[in-house]
Amino acid sequence: MAKKTYDLLFKLLLIGDSGVGKTCILFRFSDDAFTTTFISTIGIDFKIKTIELRGKKIKLQIWDTAGQERFHTITTSYYRGAMGIMLVYDITNEKSFENIVKWLRNIDEHANEDVEKMILGNKCDMDDKRTVSMERGELIAKEHSIRFMETSAKSNINIERAFRELADAILYKTAGREPGDNVDRVMVDRKPTSSSTKSCCNH
Amino acid sequence: MPDCNVNFEAEIEEGQNKRSVKCKFCSSVILTPATAAIMNVEHSLPLIRQTKTTEENPDTETTSVFWAVKDMFTFQNVGFSNTVGNTKYLTCADCEAGPIGFHDIPTKMSFVALSRVSHGDPI
Repeated sequence: MAKKTYDLLFKLLLIGDSGVGKTCILFRFSDDAFTTTFISTIGIDFKIKTIELRGKKIKLQIWDTAGQERFHTITTSYYRGAMGIMLVYDITNEKSFENIVKWLRNIDEHANEDVEKMILGNKCDMDDKRTVSMERGELIAKEHSIRFMETSAKSNINIERAFRELADAILYKTAGREPGDNVDRVMVDRKPTSSSTKSCCNH
Repeated sequence: MPDCNVNFEAEIEEGQNKRSVKCKFCSSVILTPATAAIMNVEHSLPLIRQTKTTEENPDTETTSVFWAVKDMFTFQNVGFSNTVGNTKYLTCADCEAGPIGFHDIPTKMSFVALSRVSHGDPI
């Protein structure tokens, strides 16, 4: 029982305005939800998921903000130890997209400076109500050298892939920081290939 | 209702779980073989299925056979509920069926009720 059953542990956070579907992303990481009255009443704090990447067993501990974002401040303690952040907006909600910049600033102030970030344009199943084009999402991500993906928690599009990619980026960084490797590496343009991101939501 | 007296003995090998512990509903793997210790403790757990009228006062049952886990990162996949008293309830990470057990905050021990999960070989 004492033996360690994993190689690495990554703490990931979901951040963004209220109502963009962060909770749904956490709740619907995979498979269909079987929501029970008792559990849905008290709510889920975090999840532990195990994935395998490049032969390594990685534990993901994924946290939701639990409503803290309503006050537009996320406390430093929430960011503590975070290695990856999913920054989520709603493609049908202009304001939530504009606030991405605010959230980026908040992350810069409070989170570890080398935290790996990824922007998610969620609710891409609601293309008829879209107000934020995919190009604008891609552009803002490029400006900040962050990965970008459109997702649908509801239709389970790209959710698992987003988590795998974020984890892979952290793994890449971690591997690059092994003893002796002291390169000041800046990660630019390591966003997913456009062909793969565009597989979602192109009606 | 007490635990069903199904034969849990067959699932125990050297005090640990012989096979994978999985979700009864979606087969998500909760614990891999030989990662949890069998433990007999009486604990009341809210029922997975509740009637609407009991949300504030959930129906519970006494459960007494658990898989005990010392380190929460031993779990393959699991969800932790928000805190209720000294406890966080455990759920399936994929379909969120639960509570399948509880996490005791003071001792940091987690307990998965054998009656709330299935046992089998990984997919």
